[in-house]
This record gives sequence, C-alpha cells and structure tokens, in this order.
Amino acid sequence: MPRLPSFLSPAAWVIVGLAAASTIGICLMRPPASRALQFWIFAIQHKPFYQTAIAGWNHTHPDKPVELVLMSGTALQQRMMSSFFSGTPIADVLEVERSNIGPAFAGPLEKIGFVDLTDRLRDQGLLDGINRPSFSPWTSRGRIFGIPHDVHPVLLAYRADLVEAAGIDVSRIETWDDYFRVMAPLQVAAGESGGPGRALVVGWPSDYYIAEMLLLESGGAIFDARGRPTLNAPFNARFLARLATWFTGPRPVARSVDWFSASGHRMLLDGLVVGLPVPDWYAGIILKLEIPGLAGKLKLMPLPAWERGGRRTSVWGGTMLGIAKCSPRREDAWEFAQYLYLARATAEALFRRNGIVSPIRSHWTDPVYDQPDPYFCGQPVGRLFLDQAPHVPVRTSSPFNEQALTAFDNCLISVTDYAVRTGRADPATLVPEAQRLLDQAQRDITALVGRNAFLSSPP
Amino acid sequence: MNARRLARVLGRPLLYAFLVLFAALTAVPFAWMITSAFKSGGDFFLSLFLPAGNGFLGVAWDHLTLDNFRRLFREVPMARSLVNSVFLASVTSLFATLCGAMGGYALSRFEFRGRGLLTSLVLGTAILPVPLLLAPRFELIYHLHLLDTFAGYLLPQLAPAFGVFLFRQAMLNHIPAEIIESARLEGCGEIRIFFTLVLPLVRPMVGAFIIITFLGVWNDFIGPQIILQSAGRQPLAVTLAGLGSNYGNDYGMMMAGTLVSVAPIICLFLLLQKEFISGLTSGTVKG
Repeated sequence: MPRLPSFLSPAAWVIVGLAAASTIGICLMRPPASRALQFWIFAIQHKPFYQTAIAGWNHTHPDKPVELVLMSGTALQQRMMSSFFSGTPIADVLEVERSNIGPAFAGPLEKIGFVDLTDRLRDQGLLDGINRPSFSPWTSRGRIFGIPHDVHPVLLAYRADLVEAAGIDVSRIETWDDYFRVMAPLQVAAGESGGPGRALVVGWPSDYYIAEMLLLESGGAIFDARGRPTLNAPFNARFLARLATWFTGPRPVARSVDWFSASGHRMLLDGLVVGLPVPDWYAGIILKLEIPGLAGKLKLMPLPAWERGGRRTSVWGGTMLGIAKCSPRREDAWEFAQYLYLARATAEALFRRNGIVSPIRSHWTDPVYDQPDPYFCGQPVGRLFLDQAPHVPVRTSSPFNEQALTAFDNCLISVTDYAVRTGRADPATLVPEAQRLLDQAQRDITALVGRNAFLSSPP
Repeated sequence: MNARRLARVLGRPLLYAFLVLFAALTAVPFAWMITSAFKSGGDFFLSLFLPAGNGFLGVAWDHLTLDNFRRLFREVPMARSLVNSVFLASVTSLFATLCGAMGGYALSRFEFRGRGLLTSLVLGTAILPVPLLLAPRFELIYHLHLLDTFAGYLLPQLAPAFGVFLFRQAMLNHIPAEIIESARLEGCGEIRIFFTLVLPLVRPMVGAFIIITFLGVWNDFIGPQIILQSAGRQPLAVTLAGLGSNYGNDYGMMMAGTLVSVAPIICLFLLLQKEFISGLTSGTVKG
C-alpha cells in the first residue's frame, strides 16, 4: 500500500483533499463574467416572486439581464454608504429599508448617491398614482429618491376569541379611551389569579417602535417638514404624558411582548395580551408564518384614535427601490424598476405571499385584496389595510431620526419612571415633567443636527 | 477502607456525573437547533424541542419535515456557498500553515541581520486586533483591483503572524540545531531539510494549526462579507446572515442552514480530534 509522505499528518491530508476537490469545484462552477444589471435586496421574503419577475424580464429583455443579490440589511447599508463615500462597487438598483436610508440623505442634495426620481415620477404621473404619504421617507429636501415598495398601514389585531366570548362589541370603540374602557373586563392584573395576568395592548416604555407608531398616529412629529427637530412641541409633551400612563398604576393597560422573539410569540399564543398594533407586513409575515397557532383567533380593526374623529391608523417600516447615481445604465435600471414595482403581478404576489399592500393606487381595486382570510376569521384583510392606506401619516427622512427617536423614547422612560415614583396617574400632572425632559432632548438633537452643515443651513 | 480511598471511589462517579451534566447542558442548544431544523413554522413556537403530539413518547413524529432544507437549497445558493466555504477554509489553512511554518523555520534556525527586529515585528502584528485592520485591508484590496475575488480574500491571510510565531516557538523547542547541521553536512538542500526533516518533527503542530485556521476561516463572517460581494462567491457564514431580514426571520430555515453549516465542521473535528488535541498539547509536558 503506498504511503503518504510523512511531513503531513492524516488530518492535513484530508484538508489537502478538500482543497483539491473544492478548487476543481470552484473552477467548474465559475460564473460567467456578469454584464447583468445588479439588483440588491435585503428581504428573503421577497426573493421568490422577484426571481419569477426577473426571469420574465430576462426572457423579454435578453440585452438587459438583471441579477438578483440577497444580503443582510446591515451589509446592504454598509456597502451602499461605502459606495456613496468612496466609489466602491454598488448595484444598479437596490431596495433599502427605512432604518437604513438615513445616512444616505445626510450630505448635500446633489451628492446623494441615488438618482433623483422626482421629475421622472411626475412625468409618468406616478406622483398621483402612488399613495402620496408613502413617498415621505424617501424624500429629502423636496426631492424623491426612491419608488415606495409599500404603504405599511397599521391596524389593531385583537384576540377575537376572548373578546367575543366576553360579549364585547368592538364597534363601540373609536378612541384609545374607548378601547381601554370597553376591553376592561378582559384585563387581569399580574398575580390577580395566580398567573401572569392579561394586559389590553402591547407596549412598553423602551420600545421606540410603538412610541413612534403611536406618536405619528396622534399627529405628533419629532421633525418638521424642513427636517428641524420638534421634539419639545407641547403636543408631544401631552402625548408623552398620556402614553406614560399606559405603563403605570396598579393595573397597567400595556405589557411588554417582544415583537420578534419566541417568548413574545408564546405570550400572544397564551392570550397574555388582548390587542397589538400591526402593520400589514407584521400581520402577513410574523403573525401568519411564525404564529400559525393564532389562526382563527385574531381579528383586525382600525387603530383606536387619540381623539374623536382622529386618525385611525399609523405606519411602521417601509422599503424603497432606488437607482444608484453611479450606475452606467440608469435608463435600463429605471425601466426595470418600473417593470418590477408598477406591475400588477408583483403587487398581487407581494400581498399573497407577504400580506403587504401595494402603494400603487390603481391596484387597490384588485379583487385579491377582498378575499377573506381564514387566519383573521375570514376578514378581507387586504381591504381593511387599504381602507387606511391613504391616511397613513407622513414621516421624516431625517438622517437623525434614529437618534431623535431614541431621545424621545428616553423621555418616555423617564416620564414613566417619574409617574411611578410620584404615584401620579393623571396625564395632566405629568405634562410639565414631560415638557422639561423633551426640552433637554430638543437641545441635544438640535446640537447634533447643527453639526451637519448641509441640513442645518437654511435652503 | 480508609477515608482517602473511599473519597476516591465515591469521587469518581460524582466527577463523571458532574461532567455528564455539563456535557448535556452544552448539548442543549445543539439539540434545539437540530429539532428546530426539522419543524414546520406552525410547530416552531409551540414546543421547545420536538413537536408535541400523540405519537411515541408524546411526539408528533409525522409533523417533522424536510421542507426547511428543501427551501434552503431552492431559495438560497447553499450548495455554492458550501463549496466556497470548503475552498476558502481548506486553501487558506494549507497555505497559511505552509507559509507560517516556513517563516517560523527561518526565524528560528537562520542567522541573519535584523532577525530579532523581524521577530519583534511579527509578534507586534500578531497582537493587533483584526477589526483594526479591516479598513486598511479593504482599501488595499480595492486599490489592487482584487475586490470581489477569492484572491482578495486569500492573499492577506497567507502568512499569519500568529502562525509564524507559533511555528518559530515549536521549532525552537522540538528541533535540535544539531540535526539540521548534520543534514546540511550530508549535503541536504534547505527545501529538502524543511520538508523531510523539519515538518515531520512539528507534525502535531502542523495538524493543529491547519484545523485551527480551517475553523477560523469557516466561521469568518466579516472578512468575506467585506471582500466577497457577489452571491456566487460568498461562503456559508455570509449566506446564512442573509436569511434574516427586517421583515422577520424564518427560524426553521435558519436552523436548517446552521445545521448544514456546522455539520461538516463537526464531522471534520470528530475525524481529526485526536490529532488536534495532540497538536495543542504537544510541548506542554517535558519529555
């Protein structure tokens, strides 16, 4: 039997074998030099129907093939910013999530790395054809840099099995005060019956998703239309004081239920909370795919308003399709972007697979949105979300939004703590403290924004 | 039976019980990962390990599914990533070991001007944190037009300072200078001395270093994430990261992907553990 040379151990020879085999594999699988338009996405949930759409495009446009690349949202943001700053390679077309777009809008308008689509959208009639508030996160200093992928209106999902068993009529609910009063029979304080109890709504002070969602619903904002911080607006202080009372007192109406974890899902399954505000993507992906055990137990209703006659929805999340300014094939990219985002088939697939309603208003009449959904007790979920779509609040695109939201949420935590320490349960008594905290936050964020010469100087 | 003997007799089972307990605790995350990979989305959050039901041992065996694996290989370029990972890990570990051993040999057995300075320099670079080098490494690779190439990832790793220093120490400890002198007197060339005399004498270290490097590259996320940008060139660690998204996580598919990612490395380690351990412990006992 031939012996292997002695200078390498059997372990090393195994690695040598793997190296040889994989090198052959790499050589055989070498992809041809790509001349395709690069399209970067971050959501694996969109990949299957994008692949189908791209296959159709590549068939009809063999001279302009498109290659889809999936990567994590963080990687996409880092590569995007790296390209904008230093010219490293970037895709021709890319989908960007709202939480990742801020830094792209931090510089001078003419240096933003995305193609300004404002005129193209206007010329094509898309400014009116697409849900207008959905442009706001992709608009900087009046110019639009992306086609909205979604609307993401928010409704309230509630445990219909518990509510109906208790004989509660949700049609009597218009405001949050109504909601807490009507649902009160379902509330069980922690330890009251020897168990963890049951709260009426998901929410906790350190969750800035819910703080932003509810602030926007109420009509508040932490930046004005020109991107100037408005954290300490008196309206915001009153809102903060009201929200803080959700988490305080002997029977807090809100409870912490993690949005994305197994423990949170378990709490929802166990009925430890009656209602939770959900955007379309949360209903379609997280609830339906990750918590199928709630099928037939949940129903949707418009969010209770903060005041009678007030807005009954909010917005959470969002994605845009942008074209890199450095792309040598911007016209091809624009043609592909329209093909993908404006097609009825894409809108239908987006809803069927992920529950996301289209921002293209002409698609809203599609019967797919009227189909009853067994998960939500046969409700026409698409229609319920679309009914609220035109009313979603306008959002800021400030690159300082994350910092401002964190500061705002820190104020909420402090006001809540103040309410607990002082035993104050009336929102009116909490307003001065909320205002004091927001004034400090305003100074901090204003100083931060002021360091950006491009955003702080008057246009 | 005296007290000491009694303690020894009773102590051993206790020691084993203690070790088994901690081994079982270590295995819990693996058990969770394996069972999760075979669960459907509906069962994922309903049971901790296997789906509960009326089957044998109270398990719904018919609920176990391979769907996560099917979707994994259909929706994500897993096979390609697996080949890329094997290629990057094996080629890097081989060349890093070869270059490290050669560098270590040179620093330990050749007299030349500046040897001390060079050794200090190698040691100095070994203590630099890897994240500190990411940005300059990226810039260098970019200017060399090696971004998004395997060469761009492999080249900076071919002669790790840690490997050079490790082999230098191993050669100083295990190779008597007289043997090398004798070989030279017999007319043996330096290349032949290195491969037929030096490497066999540090064979345990070679095996251990190859496996350490292989594991390091296999698990490396940030390096390939930065350098290898095309989907067709990305290894498993980067491809797996793409399974999560802002819209939520498909945990079943992520666990299936993680299982596919760790299975080869576990097999390799089980196959070569004896050598790995002997390499790590060689030199710890004077003999």
